[in-house]
Amino acid sequence: MAGAVESSLVSEDTSGTEAVAAGVVGIAAILFGISLGSMFELLSITDPIAGIPMVALLGTLLTLLGLGVIGFGLGSRFGYVATDPRPSAGLVASVAFSGIWFAVGGLVASQSFGLGTVGWVAVAFVTGGLAFAGTALPREDIGSTLPVGVFAVFVGVVFLTGVIGPSWVWDLGWEQQASFNAEFSIPVITAFCSLLVSWASAKAYGGFGARGRHVGAYLLVYLNALSIIAVLFLLVAFTVFKGLPGLFNGLTFGLGSGPETTLFGFTFAWPFAWPFVMNGVALLNDVNGVLPAIVGTIWLVIGAVVFAVPLGVGAAVFITEYADRGRFTQVVEVATNGLWSTPSIVFGLFGLAFLVPRLGNGKSLLAGMLTLGFMLLPLVVITSREAMLAVPDEYRDASAALGVTKWQTIRSVVLPASLPGIVTGIILGVGRIAGETAPILLTMSGSVAPPGSQTVDVIGGFSFTSSPPFVSNPELLQATSALPYQLYSLITAGVGQSSNIANIEQFRWATALILLVVVLSFYAVGIATRYYFRRKLQHE
Amino acid sequence: MTTLSDNDGGGLRAAARREIQRGRDFVDETEPEALVTVTVAAVALLAAFVGFLTVSSLTAIPFVVFLVASGYGWFRHQELTARVLTLTTTISTILILGLILVFIFVEAWPTVEYATVTVFGIPLPGLRLFVEARWSPVTPPLRYSMVPMIHGTVLVTIIATAVAAPLGVAAALFLSEIAPRTVRELVKPGVEILAGIPSIVYGFIGFTILSPWASDQFDIVGQGTYLFVGVVVGLMALPTVVSVAEDALNSVPESMKSGSLALGTTDWQTMTSITLPAAFSGVSAAVLLGVGRAIGETMAATVMLRGSPGLTEPLYNVFYGNDTLTSLIAANYGDADGLQMSALFVAGVILFITVLFLSIGSQYIEARMQQKLGGAE
Repeated sequence: MAGAVESSLVSEDTSGTEAVAAGVVGIAAILFGISLGSMFELLSITDPIAGIPMVALLGTLLTLLGLGVIGFGLGSRFGYVATDPRPSAGLVASVAFSGIWFAVGGLVASQSFGLGTVGWVAVAFVTGGLAFAGTALPREDIGSTLPVGVFAVFVGVVFLTGVIGPSWVWDLGWEQQASFNAEFSIPVITAFCSLLVSWASAKAYGGFGARGRHVGAYLLVYLNALSIIAVLFLLVAFTVFKGLPGLFNGLTFGLGSGPETTLFGFTFAWPFAWPFVMNGVALLNDVNGVLPAIVGTIWLVIGAVVFAVPLGVGAAVFITEYADRGRFTQVVEVATNGLWSTPSIVFGLFGLAFLVPRLGNGKSLLAGMLTLGFMLLPLVVITSREAMLAVPDEYRDASAALGVTKWQTIRSVVLPASLPGIVTGIILGVGRIAGETAPILLTMSGSVAPPGSQTVDVIGGFSFTSSPPFVSNPELLQATSALPYQLYSLITAGVGQSSNIANIEQFRWATALILLVVVLSFYAVGIATRYYFRRKLQHE
Repeated sequence: MTTLSDNDGGGLRAAARREIQRGRDFVDETEPEALVTVTVAAVALLAAFVGFLTVSSLTAIPFVVFLVASGYGWFRHQELTARVLTLTTTISTILILGLILVFIFVEAWPTVEYATVTVFGIPLPGLRLFVEARWSPVTPPLRYSMVPMIHGTVLVTIIATAVAAPLGVAAALFLSEIAPRTVRELVKPGVEILAGIPSIVYGFIGFTILSPWASDQFDIVGQGTYLFVGVVVGLMALPTVVSVAEDALNSVPESMKSGSLALGTTDWQTMTSITLPAAFSGVSAAVLLGVGRAIGETMAATVMLRGSPGLTEPLYNVFYGNDTLTSLIAANYGDADGLQMSALFVAGVILFITVLFLSIGSQYIEARMQQKLGGAE
């Protein structure tokens, strides 16, 4: 009975603190939002919010937050709040806080008081050392709140007194000039402070000790994951937003409205006209498009897959099924991992030195295909090998027990069982190489903005000749374009080379969007395939 | 010492003898017709390869012979043909790495030779590439120093690692230890898609949005800063760090974590005192691979930097960005020839060797971790 009373007392007590701590975290979140908004120039630090000048508002809030955090620490230290602190805040926090206070001391000494190098270093060491001692020596509840709170109050006072005001500028005085101004510094400092304060109050919320650290760390880890997803979402959404107008420019539907296409001797007209993906660039076009680049990308991917997949799967079969584990398989593994991490531009250089002189002595589609195939190869080997290793040995044993040969086991047991993994790996690898620019830049790139007539026609390009190699295809040996290269050349091209394009900005964003769509759809298909097969495996 | 080497020699000889014996057995056991077929195929492929290397127009003939021979073998002696073909593909994978090494070295050699400096009467080829800081491919004296580009690459890589390593490891912890299942199913594909966004799209956004913004914010003359190239490249290296570090964290045996949790620790305590230390080598391998990605990243750097090789003033001034090793190649390949072209290959060699060492290093670390964890169980 006594225990029940006690526990209810404690929970009431902590719930009061928890409410305050949650309030502090809430204010910190608002501050963080304001600073993000002003960094993206949605808010201006010169404008007042609700009649209060922005900087003064930030300063006031930061001071309050700092006082709140100090309050937690003192309240816990003097026993007003039931917590479970450890003897010290720990080394990580001590080093981090002494770093912050080292910077504060150094900046104040050198910028506000104008001390020389020796002076500011000395001051910085004193403040940093004090912060280290202040964090490491006292009990955890003081050590992890006081340095943070004092820092927030300090920054708040600096903002309130106008030491750093809206027109503040710190010229670094370097030969190549650069300076920090208020528009950048105030939001960044505010965001940093609010992060620090929320970490400290999350710790207080958890009652310090092991649980407090747990809560504080989880706050940061969750925030990190959230911001990664936010960045991804922002990137994609921004590109879509900027690219959509150019992409659907002049889109019309209706029977026979599209261009005519002849495929395998059969001519038909598309039921819609989508100029951006059906036209090239020409003077007389109403809407210019990127058809040659799209077709170029498709052929590149096909060529690379045709080259790399048989080689890669074959190599994976050999090292997983035939070879004994030893020196040889180790060498192969090191080589494939080395190839996997080789920079794409090095593949480009290799293609330039090795393939270009041997394939018609000029940049060509074929050289681009093979170079991208070299890049795709290690990915195929690695993923196929992983998929084959994941096939249980029981399968192989069962098959071998039937008296069939090794190759029959591989063909009818190992390969089918590992097919999902192989296919997923190939799709993801293709997504990666389809967006690569550097290798094709050196081996395949053609004109900046090719007209529609320069669309490659690989199937129609084959012809037989009387001299070896007896088959020739001029289309394969021509320089052509691909989406990533087209985007690159549009960025770097001068005005003269792309003067046919009326709205170059819109055209670039639309190209970026279509490249993103092509590449991400490979990824979407790859990831979806993986989920599909995984679910199927789990249901079995 | 001597006995050891004797043993080694004896062991080698025995191994060679065993191999020869195995080869003999193999020849004895196999049908002669199958043996002839695969031999013809192998010789034809070798001839085709030599033909391709020597830029011969007759390359196609042995290649067709190879195709016919292996096609015939596939129908008549599938078992052996499959084995030989898969061996061929394996060898060609290693061969490609070797060819890359040989070809970029050969192309780089003229500039290395040009930059020979004689120290105490000993000629040291390539030394001047690293002791001067002057890149001047047009106005004499012609100099192809790699120092400015190495400086740029180092700055970008440091910034990128500062972005990618902590965020990546934290995200990996989140994915492997913390996140509830549904959240993980959402975040993991997100990270993968982040890896999928083409580098040129990152570069384009950096070029049109980030660079003008940075110039405005920091009162910089012109556009292009190592700082923001580093941030963008860090973002691009992030997925590599996350996925490799997550694998490492996942490979820590569940029994170790449960043992710690059973002692009444919090999840976070278990992570910092059990999971992270146990997976430390794997996590550092992940960071190394991320560094490798950052060093090799090309397009974002090419588009966002100024493309005028030179050191920044002062050296730690990250608000100006001139050139990295990768952007030098991508920006100058078009109008370079002769020694300048060869200098671009020198940059390629430096990149290739550095990243290869990082890759091998991280593999070694990972292998050691596997051994350790395997032994601990």
